[in-house]
Amino acid sequence: MEPELAIRLVTSLREAGIDFVSYLPESRLSQILPLMRKDPGFKLAPSASEADAVSIAVGTTLGGKQTACYMESTGIYVSCYQLLVVALHLRVPVLLLVSHLGGFDDQRNSFLYSLAGRRLIPQFEALDIEFKVLENGNHIEQDIGNAVRTMNALREPVALVFTGDFTT
Amino acid sequence: MNRYECLQSLMPLITDHLIVTSQSGQRIEWGSLSKHEGNLLLGEMGAALSVGTGLALALPKRKIVVLESDGSVLLALSSLATLANLEVSNLAVFIFDNGAYSGTRISEPSATGGRTDLETVARGAGIERSVTVRELAEFEKYAPSAMEGKALNFIVCKVQESLLHRDIPRPDLDLLENKYRFIRYLQRTEGRLPSFIGRG
Repeated sequence: MEPELAIRLVTSLREAGIDFVSYLPESRLSQILPLMRKDPGFKLAPSASEADAVSIAVGTTLGGKQTACYMESTGIYVSCYQLLVVALHLRVPVLLLVSHLGGFDDQRNSFLYSLAGRRLIPQFEALDIEFKVLENGNHIEQDIGNAVRTMNALREPVALVFTGDFTT
Repeated sequence: MNRYECLQSLMPLITDHLIVTSQSGQRIEWGSLSKHEGNLLLGEMGAALSVGTGLALALPKRKIVVLESDGSVLLALSSLATLANLEVSNLAVFIFDNGAYSGTRISEPSATGGRTDLETVARGAGIERSVTVRELAEFEKYAPSAMEGKALNFIVCKVQESLLHRDIPRPDLDLLENKYRFIRYLQRTEGRLPSFIGRG
């Protein structure tokens, strides 16, 4: 991802009101982490598992934060149970920032990732989680603002799936 | 020592605490004992500790209490390492460890009924204030300072398996009803609402 795109992504999150991010780091969007760490508008919670990151995000949201949860596509499988039995069952909005590692437009795809990537979208559909795939940053500010508004309206997690230009 | 006795002795210590329980006996017993609006009675295993961690991070001036079971913590062992590496000092975690999956109705042993020691696991994960208590007097000694919320405390309570919760009416509070009651309690005591509320 070009540094300028990472800056726009982080700026868009802040401007959309995101002030807390739980995460397990990955390879495609990782430039956003040092940017958020330097920004006093964000509080970060590194997690040992995406399952923990999702449950922490539910707790921080109930505690008044506007929370995003950042992970790669495989993290959705790891956190599927927490998404279902905590976030969806309690109807708590969390913005899922998911790199589409292994997806069709993943510019660094390989046989190691493609199986998990191919089944990501069906996984969201099975969980009935609203999502949008972003291939480039043309409308990143609007897309993130829309996602935050949608998750708050739904009172459910909503996912932004980053591929294409975000995976270079 | 059984879980119900421990929970009874926690009751007088509750002020404006936020209490998160996992599924199973502690949810039923605590839900029966306490009608505190700061209760969040979760309906599943493997999440209460991290939800409580999130609350503790979002509300650093509040005291958060998590009532967990051995089976629930074993399902989410990574959450111990996650918690240990976060700046959390306002969280008390009580693990009611009976060494069995009582919900199975055949008392199938859990790992702590075998070789696993949760205090050691927590300490190895980096949670320094980890202790194991086996007698009610010990529990009553540790609980008040843990409830003060000035440090992260992880208390493994070795309890006898009790089937008392089967004779107690289950909480009739729906999960969503519980969530909104909890949020309204936070609104009254914190003076603000989560951003997803009140946009009708």
